[in-house]
Amino acid sequence: MRLPPQPGERIDRDAAIPFTFHGSRVTGFRGDTIASALFGEGQRVFSRSFKYHRARGLLCCSGTCPNCMMRVDGVPNVRTCVTPLHEGAKVEAQNFWGSLDHDLLTLTDKVGGPFTPVGFYYRTMIRPRRAWPLYERFLRSVAGLGKVEKHRGRTRRYDVERRRADVLVVGASEAGVESAREAAGREGRVVLVDNGLDPLPELEGVEAVRGTAIGVYEGGLVPVDAGTVLYRYRAGRVVVAAGGIEQPLLFPGNDLVGVVLPEAVRRLVGRWSLRPGVRAVVVSADQRGLETASLLERAGTEVAGVVDLRAARVREIAARGRGGRLASVELDGKKLDCDLLVMSGGRQPAYALLAHAGASVGYDPGRGIFVPAELPAGVEAVGAAAGEVDDAAVPAATYDGAVKKGKCFVCICEDVTDKDVKRAIAEGFDSIELAKRYTTVTMGPCQGKLCHLPSIRLYARENETDEASIGTTTARPPWQPVELGLLAGRPHEPAQRTSIHHRHKELGAKMMWTGTWRRPHSYGDPSGEAKNVHDALGVIDVSTLGKLVVRGPDAAAFLERLYPNRFGDMKPGRIRYGVLGSDAGRIMDDGTIARLAEEDYYVTTTSTGAGAVLEWFEWWNAVWGLDVRIANVTGALAAVNVAGPHARELMSRLADLDVSNEAFTYLDAKHAHVAGVPSLVLRIGFVGELGYEIHFPSPYGEHVWDSILDHGADLGARPFGLEPQRILRLEKMHILVGQDTDSESNVFEASMPWIAKMDKDDFVGKWSLERVQERGFREQLVGFEMANGVVPPEGGQIVVGGRPGGRVTSSRWSEHLGKAIGMGWVPPELAEDGAQIAIKVNGSVERAHVRLRPFFDPDGEHLRT
Amino acid sequence: MTHLDFLSPDLAAPEAVWRSPLERPLAHAPAGIEDVSRTGVLDVRGDADGLDAGAAEIVRLSDDRALVLCDWERVAEVRARLGDRATLDVSAGWAGIRLPGETLLRRLTDLDLDALPAVGPVAHVQALVLRDEDGGFRVFFAQEYGDYLAEVVLDAAAGLEAP
Repeated sequence: MRLPPQPGERIDRDAAIPFTFHGSRVTGFRGDTIASALFGEGQRVFSRSFKYHRARGLLCCSGTCPNCMMRVDGVPNVRTCVTPLHEGAKVEAQNFWGSLDHDLLTLTDKVGGPFTPVGFYYRTMIRPRRAWPLYERFLRSVAGLGKVEKHRGRTRRYDVERRRADVLVVGASEAGVESAREAAGREGRVVLVDNGLDPLPELEGVEAVRGTAIGVYEGGLVPVDAGTVLYRYRAGRVVVAAGGIEQPLLFPGNDLVGVVLPEAVRRLVGRWSLRPGVRAVVVSADQRGLETASLLERAGTEVAGVVDLRAARVREIAARGRGGRLASVELDGKKLDCDLLVMSGGRQPAYALLAHAGASVGYDPGRGIFVPAELPAGVEAVGAAAGEVDDAAVPAATYDGAVKKGKCFVCICEDVTDKDVKRAIAEGFDSIELAKRYTTVTMGPCQGKLCHLPSIRLYARENETDEASIGTTTARPPWQPVELGLLAGRPHEPAQRTSIHHRHKELGAKMMWTGTWRRPHSYGDPSGEAKNVHDALGVIDVSTLGKLVVRGPDAAAFLERLYPNRFGDMKPGRIRYGVLGSDAGRIMDDGTIARLAEEDYYVTTTSTGAGAVLEWFEWWNAVWGLDVRIANVTGALAAVNVAGPHARELMSRLADLDVSNEAFTYLDAKHAHVAGVPSLVLRIGFVGELGYEIHFPSPYGEHVWDSILDHGADLGARPFGLEPQRILRLEKMHILVGQDTDSESNVFEASMPWIAKMDKDDFVGKWSLERVQERGFREQLVGFEMANGVVPPEGGQIVVGGRPGGRVTSSRWSEHLGKAIGMGWVPPELAEDGAQIAIKVNGSVERAHVRLRPFFDPDGEHLRT
Repeated sequence: MTHLDFLSPDLAAPEAVWRSPLERPLAHAPAGIEDVSRTGVLDVRGDADGLDAGAAEIVRLSDDRALVLCDWERVAEVRARLGDRATLDVSAGWAGIRLPGETLLRRLTDLDLDALPAVGPVAHVQALVLRDEDGGFRVFFAQEYGDYLAEVVLDAAAGLEAP
């Protein structure tokens, strides 16, 4: 029922808005929030409390407390008192078993008290131990607030937008508006952010934004929650005009439905023309609370009593209810029947945003509030947030009497009573920060807005000290509840794709991740694809290789110092394999290095190693100060490897180049046009057959790929993926850095001693490798061949004398060899050709023989002819 | 052929088919979002003072490094003018996308759009962002992120359309 039309009301009585509450059709008006519409429909109980399932009604009506949180259109924990009503809204209350009016879990309130103190699940539900799974299941089912549909997926879109402001004013309070007006036209971009229900003020030169500032971070970063968009403001100057927060009083029954803060009355009557109650009592420490009396009378509420705490000394307040709803209040033993109790403990400046920014806060004993003291540069406070609040009486820590008459809540979000706080102190939680974590006071949805000051007051009294000594807890964002989806924003998962990617998809490739690259695992037939490389002609996209150009007069010296092997003696047009080591002598990466000219080298790295190698190069270049320039051309160049007995024939068709074995020998690097595209052709062979790696500008990726498949069709040209490549390279015992090696591996123990030229003056990691030579090998990387064809798991255990003695790093079935082969680390004494080792496979132990030379073409004839 | 020609896409024979990394992902892009990947980009090292690149656009990355952007047709000419020693043709490594307005870009990057050109992450990918005279922006980034970034841009544009 609404009051007759009131001056200044914010509802449009001609615009009815239908919605549903638990399936029943109800109506509100334009200008209503969901909560005000429900209140208008007679609803008084809005939720059930977190732990004791006590009935809760509107308390603050300004988005601060948890009492009005409901599920709206499937979204849990919507603060309905500040959410404008929309047509067709599906509204449901939350946190009850049974119904909102008859919640079976109120049992915890009636009998649970002694069994459910703070942290009860650590102590009352631990025995018998065997029953814990049952307890846990029950606790899980009743814990938390609101339900999320686990499998619903994303239903709302959230975006993040970065904005800049020279001046950002938070809060369109009088002081906020004044600050914005002053800055307008003088300080560039002025933005005023407000989350109120009233229309945004229209000020010249000020951009007004509807949203909630949820924190102030370093560098003037202020995230503003604007519903489905998070504005990340970078502000030169932040002006906090967040106002003050009305504080509750602590007395038994202070959470009953009908106990409200002054703003609730102000809004219910003034904004929505609703009568808050039939018979009211006002107990206030400030003028703001007292003023509600006249408003109530205007609304037809009988005011049975008004207590001004500044004048009257009240020791005991006890509210009593029926069915969770306020029925009477006793003031020092004098009982007054009422269904509405307006309480006001004065206003606390909303300093949290200032504290996020690094402001210090001090206690003002005269006014009983915390006020911001020192502000960091670029942050200002105005109005109530700065401490400009009405003078008020300092309320007592609690108003409970000698005889306890019910629960007195310090924290209504988490249902923490004064008794819980006292018990925490008795248990030794004497620091406010520890007590906060133990009792969870200030950790609920209100984030301390209603409980921080009262809990400090109670702490001070119980510890027989003052509030200033207790101090405040650290304020952290978010200052207002924020949807997780908004913080998550849009999902962005950067993926690198080669310029031939779409061709792979068209050819039916199964894609896989290697680092952030998408690569073809295979085109459906890994072993057939591998076989085709041996028999005819395989084509693989190796554009993902890291590619660096190292240029300058000192390029050769630079690489000599970086790598354990030699590059200075290479002739232009030649290629050498290189293993990059760390200063601890550990293997970082590997690849081929081609000398293009006297002062120009072309370095390839592993697909996932490009970034690290580039950084490594640049770091040492800065250290040594050599005349070298390094350029990353990884993405600029596509690369395709053609391999197989018909590779030469294919190249003779595509390249303007003499590809005879005499003119273009193994480990040569030649410049040519391949299918009309300027290319660098490297004659190398990772997969063991005659091969050419063609590097060319990436926009021609598809053109070159298509040309190879067209011109090689009669030669049996077929693409092959990463999986067949892995089989082929294993046949050749070529290592994969990161697969066969780890962060401890060095070139000696990885069985590549020929890489390290220990007679060089110096190179990165030389000293460490000398130490390895001195101490002897602890393990060694070898190949192995399974005796009975079983493929052991990668990472599997090599058993020596019945104990773990090594591990398998790679293993595959080679169709070409008809064998199960692999590589692994074994004790040095077993690193002998033909040595017998045992490998654990599915619980049983299988025999294998060590192989030190490549399984396929050990002398590299296929590569060289 | 000289030994770094394999980096220059403009040296390909006319029958070789050049294809932009953004051709497919931007095929149905709304008006205003355009592919500008066919741009010459030269990485110039050494003292960039008094760099004479004709009418090309010069973006200083540091005291001794600059990127020179030019029309595709003029790459060879600008390359020649800059000289071989300190210049590397990286045209093939960059994809470019043109965005119509500020809001779209603000949903993708933390860069200060009042201080362009600048290099920094756009949707987590390092990018060079330039402001055009008409209020539009050009974003250049490693071409291998083409599919990803185009998808992100189109998604952000759809988000602005959404009610």
